[in-house]
Amino acid sequence: MSSFDSLMQGFAVALQPMTLLYGFIGCLVGTLVGVLPGIGPALTIALLLPLTFKVPATAIFVLFAGIYYGAMYGGSTTSILLNTPGESATIVTSLEGNKMARRGRAGPALATAAIGSFVAGTIGTIALTFFAPWVVDAALAFGPAEYFSLMLMALVTVSAVLGSSALRGLISLVAGLLFGLIGIDLQTGQPRFTFGQPEFLDGIEVTIVAVGLFAIGEALFLAWQGKENKKTDVLAVSGSLWLSKEDFARSWKAWIRGSLFGFPIGAMPAGGAELPTLLSYYTEKKLSKKPEEFGHGAIEGVAGPEAANNAAAAGVLMPLLTLGIPTSATAAIILSAFESYGIQVGPTLFTQQSGLVWTLIASLYIGNVILLVLNLPLVGLWVKLLKIPPQWLYAGIVVISVAGVYGSSNSVFDVGLLFFFGVLGFGMRRFDFPAAPLIIGLILGPMAEQSMRQALTISQGNWSTFFTRPISGTLMAISIALLVVPNLLRFIRSRKQA
Amino acid sequence: MSTRLIASFLLVFCAVAVWQVFSIPESTIQSEVGPILAPAILVALLSLLGVFYLLSAISNKAPDCVHQEEEQPLKGGAKRVSFLLGGGLAFILLTKLIGFLIPAALCGLGVSMAFDAKLNIKTLLMVLAIAGAFWTLFSAILGVDLGPLVNLSF
Repeated sequence: MSSFDSLMQGFAVALQPMTLLYGFIGCLVGTLVGVLPGIGPALTIALLLPLTFKVPATAIFVLFAGIYYGAMYGGSTTSILLNTPGESATIVTSLEGNKMARRGRAGPALATAAIGSFVAGTIGTIALTFFAPWVVDAALAFGPAEYFSLMLMALVTVSAVLGSSALRGLISLVAGLLFGLIGIDLQTGQPRFTFGQPEFLDGIEVTIVAVGLFAIGEALFLAWQGKENKKTDVLAVSGSLWLSKEDFARSWKAWIRGSLFGFPIGAMPAGGAELPTLLSYYTEKKLSKKPEEFGHGAIEGVAGPEAANNAAAAGVLMPLLTLGIPTSATAAIILSAFESYGIQVGPTLFTQQSGLVWTLIASLYIGNVILLVLNLPLVGLWVKLLKIPPQWLYAGIVVISVAGVYGSSNSVFDVGLLFFFGVLGFGMRRFDFPAAPLIIGLILGPMAEQSMRQALTISQGNWSTFFTRPISGTLMAISIALLVVPNLLRFIRSRKQA
Repeated sequence: MSTRLIASFLLVFCAVAVWQVFSIPESTIQSEVGPILAPAILVALLSLLGVFYLLSAISNKAPDCVHQEEEQPLKGGAKRVSFLLGGGLAFILLTKLIGFLIPAALCGLGVSMAFDAKLNIKTLLMVLAIAGAFWTLFSAILGVDLGPLVNLSF
């Protein structure tokens, strides 16, 4: 069956009323969490993981996809009206978008961000539809050695290449990998890092770590800073929410170019949305007929990076669905949702769970349309949400986090662990350690260890198998180059300057 | 100073992890790679990275947002953090005893006071409403077991 036929079958399921309802709720919740500072898609999906015990897989993944895409749309509203980028990928949006809002052009800034997100989300989803089967075909040739090398490459790039410091990224990653090994070793039945506590035998739930780091850690950090009550006011939505002819003419090429930067970079195992948004911003600045407007509220500076950010979000789903490799914290938590259903993510997903995958992809198209319809007309509601006083907002976030964790196990030990990871998240935030590598390490750690052990069993303990098999060897070489070359170049540069 | 303290914590964490690696029982199952190898490699790697981090802290290259103008905290940061953690502790200690509502409200109270809310009737009513609303959503509507709303049988 061709990709197109499979997609049409996916649409048939995704357009059923119940599935559509889950998609709609996901988009609504996603936009809400994207708009609200301090709560993002990773945290929200983590809190909803207990629903995997009650809701069918198709419905839950449609819901999660809606949250994931919705948060991308909603994040731009906060960036433009509050000048508070929820994540590093929306810094550029707040840079130009907030300046536009201050000049009385919040409406066109929100419109170009929303329509750009729609265009990029759709282009990204089309690319996912037609390229994913190719990647699956290639990945079917992978054995355990290739998988281990691929995971190693993803881990190295996510932690050492994309963050502000390779050292702190790697510390975060290795700590995550170690947390991932807590519990019974599935191959031998031996307990590891359990401190004799029976609560640790099943390992640490991803939900506890993600919610602790993102919700409790963030609340602790912001409370410690004590500046939330002193933040600047939310800007009013000024100007028309329709794009003028001139604004449209300046935006549409930026949307397309942003999408072309966002999807391929987001789809790489190295992933990330920061690089494409920055590339898009500087490209638009270079190509603009009004470069002097950049830094003072140029519409292309919102249109391009917002499109790049959304296309990258679609791109991140490519390694997740085709290879089982998460390259962002949200993708890592979606992967753990697949695990909750006992579904093996990777190339076999497209053959063994074809209906689920294509319904999910179809729901992304539908979600994009829902989000476009939801975003602009309801902007007044989103603005009101931004005015919730922080003491109630964070009380709500922390109580819902505690309720979510306590409700999934009925264990106060888990709530204690939640606050332990909260304190860890606070420390990581203060001392600039990235949180995403820890989450990705926690989830990929056991999978990587399993692949390594399988590969070594097949090769009868011969470690060179990771380097002598062509694909595995190439991936290993790339990993080593990614670790060594930037440091080597920095060293050479510093020697030259000295 | 604080980055050196963090580096020291990291190295203590590594020492505890080394002890735990030595505590893993040998497997009786014959396999090419046992349960100890991966943890041992990771602990060794983390220890090495911890030493590098300590060196960067000693040479003042490890960042602490206290030293960045935009990120500096206002006075009373430790007090605000202890309010929040105190709320969490109240939930952990009390929820099995007296049900969900009051411990969750105390948790919310700790958080709201950490964000400079005043301790008055309005604050108490708000946190009780938040706790009650989430119990209703999770327990009554979604069927998640949060225990009784209020337990007076202790």
